[in-house]
Amino acid sequence: MIFSSLIFIYLFLPICLIGYAAAREMRLKNMVLIVFSLIFYAWGEPVRILLLLLSALLNYFFGIGVRKYKGNAAKAVLGVSLAYNLGMIGIFKYSGFLMENINAIFGSSFPVPQIAQLVGISFYTFQVMSYVVDCYWEKIDPQRSFTKFLLYVSLFPQLIAGPIVRYSTIAAEIDSRHTSLEDLSCGLTRFIIGLSKKVILADQLFRIVDDFLGGNPESLSVVGTWYGVIIYSLYIYFDFSGYSDMAIGLGRLFGFHFNENFNHPFLCKDITEFWQRWHISLGSFFRDYLLPLPIFGIRSKYLSLAAVWLCTGIWHGASWNYVIWGIYYGIFILLETRIGKKKMKAIPIWIRHIYNKIVIIIGFGIFYFEDTSQLLPFLKNLTLFNPNGFYGTMEQVSFCNNLFLIIAAIICTFPLLEIPKKIAANSQNAKITVSVLGTLTSAVLLITSSILLVDATTKAFLYYRF
Amino acid sequence: MNRAEIKNRLTEIFQDVFDDDDITLTDNTCADDIEDWDSLEHINLIGAVERAFKMRFTVREVSGMKNVGEMMDILEERGK
Repeated sequence: MIFSSLIFIYLFLPICLIGYAAAREMRLKNMVLIVFSLIFYAWGEPVRILLLLLSALLNYFFGIGVRKYKGNAAKAVLGVSLAYNLGMIGIFKYSGFLMENINAIFGSSFPVPQIAQLVGISFYTFQVMSYVVDCYWEKIDPQRSFTKFLLYVSLFPQLIAGPIVRYSTIAAEIDSRHTSLEDLSCGLTRFIIGLSKKVILADQLFRIVDDFLGGNPESLSVVGTWYGVIIYSLYIYFDFSGYSDMAIGLGRLFGFHFNENFNHPFLCKDITEFWQRWHISLGSFFRDYLLPLPIFGIRSKYLSLAAVWLCTGIWHGASWNYVIWGIYYGIFILLETRIGKKKMKAIPIWIRHIYNKIVIIIGFGIFYFEDTSQLLPFLKNLTLFNPNGFYGTMEQVSFCNNLFLIIAAIICTFPLLEIPKKIAANSQNAKITVSVLGTLTSAVLLITSSILLVDATTKAFLYYRF
Repeated sequence: MNRAEIKNRLTEIFQDVFDDDDITLTDNTCADDIEDWDSLEHINLIGAVERAFKMRFTVREVSGMKNVGEMMDILEERGK
């Protein structure tokens, strides 16, 4: 089930909220959330729920085990847990890719496993890995109640596409929480903002992406290629940050306060800052758990940098373009590291903005083309070596037809919500006016999104694949 | 090596890694106080400290260190 569907918004969520409100004790509230989370995850493909339950059960014991035992025994439990978790991701996400490459390199013909993509496996597995490692490092105490641990693993708002919520972030709220009126109001508003980003912006932008990059990208002009990939960059931002908004908003409705996953990434001044603003929970995961590891027994920022960006690329999918994408970002971060923060800051701000936007946009182009044979023609078409000319009528027609959508999308990459917040801080009357206007805007956005959903085939979120 | 000697040695390493001779350390010095001390430079710093003191920090220590005081605590403990 996906958040941006009528069945979720008008059936699943209201029933879940009513059931949750009707449950008086925290234990019952947790049970309601677990049952609804399992229904949510099993929707359409019930078998995958068994793997989720198995992962929860094993990691529950791993967490207890790494603290119960000391020394090498604890290390052994940690090793088994990492092997299991990484092994599951490996089997369900990379086995086909690995076998295809083995066959290609060695000319062998081993059967390529056809394993269905397990939605959300990268997200929930990273969560449980962080839990077990944090238990091992004694940063947190293992959860003794399996029900509460299962709630952490399965909690539907963040189960499928993040943010990657650390156990420590919501440990206290799993035990005891209260949904205040402010939580309800903020949660609902945040959910509607996320829904609008997805349905009003991302899904509409995707139609353009499909026309340009999804059609015959090799025949595009220079401007057409840039246009297509710029629209794709906007699409992926609204799709993924829209999901994160919905996840954070839904969490808030049930009294959970998740960490933020985006911070207006396109406002970044360099690539290093972009990654401090984009998919923050993944970056902080690698920063905390991968960066401190000695690589080949050596602690060097260059080796660590290479490991982090290779893993960031591979994490996104079993395809070479993601590996290239990860290395591509690693190179620019390395470059910025070599230049140094002081010298980077000395570069005029407009040059830094042009530089990082070009890098980010081309990066998303690499991200888009899972068929790597299309990558080189795409990169060539971005330049004056493009054989199709500089400018075509296709992009002119598309730009004119979608002008308002594109302008709205660009404006929405800025922190617009800061404006009403500042106005509301002026006086009590301003606060009331902002509140009333905010409610009206939310209602209009919800109605608009719902109408668009009635009329459309629901598109899954891009990050469901990862 | 006593705590004062550790601090002096660490100061030299910090000055070298961050290329800034004006760095002075206290127990409370943390990443917020030194502009270039980010998560990546932290790894280089750790590597330089390990080489200078001929010891190895655990992954947990590298990840969990909050300030120079905690780093000195670990070095002092290992030096016993």
